[in-house]
Amino acid sequence: MIVKLKVNGEIRSADVSPETTLLKLLREHLNLTGAKLGCDVGDCGTCTVIVDGKSVNSCLMLAGRASGREVTTIEGLASSEQLHPLQETFEELGALQCGFCGPGMIISAKALLDKNPEPTVFEVRDALSGNLCRCTGYTKIIEAVLDAGRIMSTAEAKS
Amino acid sequence: MKKRGRGMACMWYPIGFTVAANPSAATVKVNTDGTATLLTGTVETGQGALTVLGQIAAEALGIATDDVHVVSADTDTTPMDTGAIASRTTYVTGNAVIKAAEQAREILFEAAAPMLNVKPEQLEARDRKIQVLGFPQQYKTIGEVAHHSEIVIGRPAIGSGSYNPPTVEMDPETGQGKPFSTYVYATQIADVEVDDETGEVEVLRIVAAHDCGTPINPMLVEGQIQGGISMGVGFALQEEILFKDGKQVNPNLTNYIMPTSLDMPELEVEMVDNYDPTGPFGAKGAGEPTAVPTAAAIMNAIYDAVGVRITSLPATSEKVLSAILEQKAA
Repeated sequence: MIVKLKVNGEIRSADVSPETTLLKLLREHLNLTGAKLGCDVGDCGTCTVIVDGKSVNSCLMLAGRASGREVTTIEGLASSEQLHPLQETFEELGALQCGFCGPGMIISAKALLDKNPEPTVFEVRDALSGNLCRCTGYTKIIEAVLDAGRIMSTAEAKS
Repeated sequence: MKKRGRGMACMWYPIGFTVAANPSAATVKVNTDGTATLLTGTVETGQGALTVLGQIAAEALGIATDDVHVVSADTDTTPMDTGAIASRTTYVTGNAVIKAAEQAREILFEAAAPMLNVKPEQLEARDRKIQVLGFPQQYKTIGEVAHHSEIVIGRPAIGSGSYNPPTVEMDPETGQGKPFSTYVYATQIADVEVDDETGEVEVLRIVAAHDCGTPINPMLVEGQIQGGISMGVGFALQEEILFKDGKQVNPNLTNYIMPTSLDMPELEVEMVDNYDPTGPFGAKGAGEPTAVPTAAAIMNAIYDAVGVRITSLPATSEKVLSAILEQKAA
């Protein structure tokens, strides 16, 4: 079946078998390997992408269900000139260690900040609760998301 | 009713293993553009080891961390390293890096001495320069000296070094010896809330004070401690591999439950000022010991809250509740 969708602002299409997940479509057909294959059953969250503004586990969504929708992956955040504020604050604070949870963590945070640029600590914890991290204890990740929110809302206020 | 309690636990932990040899080796070459290349066999696993080793090489050579290109973990090309284990990398590999960098620096000093009309021992490496001690305006850049050493003298500035922590074998009669080269120490304090009707334990706050010598990179050490505490919280309350008939029954993250962002308490991390003369620039190590006292502190806090001693981990709600009921019945 042909699946046609918008990925990071670009119309992409691929011919995939019906059982193909969105994650497999992204990684193996569209060569976007930023979203990681972790548990493949929706527990770990490292495959998180944004579909029509909502963060989803792309390992649990069939590629066909994403047809005609708009998908944002970690590759869609930075331009060649500039990192996304989340990427900047994650780097600045040393929020990632091994980094395997990183793409999903940052995408979940983006889905939160796009709707709620000044979240409380609890709202950040809640938004990231589907993204497991074994190294960091989440502490610096939560700080980085709060910092990025502040940067984004200041930028918004200026423009 | 929810009851609050506070518990404390202290620990010491040896840095690097002993009994068998525990060496690391490193090679440092100073390039003619003033940068340096560090070869190390150790592996970066996210703890920031390569950053720390690059910092150590940079400090020894008087250049910036960004000037050091680190090549690692390739058995074809990099020097032997025992491995990213036993919380040993900063201490053991770091000492090897210092030795290698000092050897390369010595070659630079010997090359620069006649250029500056002084003896090599009157020189220091600082701010990307080889300069005369006490007369910093008399200098040659590291790049110039490295170039001169290579092209004119014919002696490239390359150093290699290895370190194997000295230990003293244990005396079988007295049990005395020096099994490890150095030790780190920590205290963690946990505040918990225990529901005495359900046995549920919530960790509210953990304060952790760690002596890991002089931290080379405090941000990375803080990250290690925070991560270690999250593993300790999981070890204390949630994580358990369950077997039935020799098979693991919870091999997935659906049923092997580890802490999420919602389970993590508020953390306060304190690095205790210390300097270990045997470590690289006073540093010891930080990895594994960060997780050691957490579960004990939480168990003591549970005792403080509801008066029951949990002696097997994890302290699941079921376990805590049955201990509370047993205590009431007694």
